[in-house]
Amino acid sequence: MGQVSDAAIMDALRRQMTVVAARQVVAASNLANVNTPGYRAKEVGFDEALSSKLAAAAGMQTTNAKHLAGEPVGDVTLNETADLPSRRDGNNVQIDRELLSMARASGEFSAAQTALAAKFRLVRYALNDSR
Amino acid sequence: MPSPLRSAVNAAASALNAERARIEVAVSNLANIESTRGPDGQPYKRRDVVLQSNPVNSFDSVLGRASATGVKVAAVVEDQAAPRRRYEPSHPDADAEGYVALPNVDPAEEMVDMLSAARAYQANLTAIGLIRDMVSRALDLGK
Repeated sequence: MGQVSDAAIMDALRRQMTVVAARQVVAASNLANVNTPGYRAKEVGFDEALSSKLAAAAGMQTTNAKHLAGEPVGDVTLNETADLPSRRDGNNVQIDRELLSMARASGEFSAAQTALAAKFRLVRYALNDSR
Repeated sequence: MPSPLRSAVNAAASALNAERARIEVAVSNLANIESTRGPDGQPYKRRDVVLQSNPVNSFDSVLGRASATGVKVAAVVEDQAAPRRRYEPSHPDADAEGYVALPNVDPAEEMVDMLSAARAYQANLTAIGLIRDMVSRALDLGK
């Protein structure tokens, strides 16, 4: 198994938290517009989330062995959610669906945060001479 | 607080405002269901809230980052439907034929409006709680 650096893992976790936060923002927007006529529900583009994860796996070009394989934060795009039945006023937001997606995002954020906090603890442990 | 999450809280807060406005308008419609005289001498006309989506953080959207879309009350309009008429010759506002023009308010419609606004208000409060959880988890990283 190839070696995975701490920096790469922390970067992936940070990326995960960014994407999840974006999902939370989009669900909150949908929920805010649950009674706005003609509003269409939006979601974070899956392709975008995936490609930014793949970019994280590939890393940036390094021309020196001492370079870190950092990469820019992938921008998140919004798409209209497909296949949702719309009401008579042209709005297709479903309260339960959005609340569920917010609860899920909150859980995923907690998971990534827990992992990242564990990583930070390890770093602190090393910095403090294993004390 | 990180900027995208703050804009999400702002969006939810704007929705709380808008839904409260809907409840207020529904309540005043119900309160005036028998008001035969308004300031202009005409029977009260049912009012309706027009909601419009409203990007809360345009700076983020300029940068192409995820930004929340809030909602605002675009206008409060009067329903121009004809007034209800009731035969009541003894009423001071009765016309020559003995009919009184009453506001065009339907109590069932107002109750449904109020219920849907109250549900949306609750949902947005829950959303703010979830976002707050996320922000405090993020702040825990600094401990």
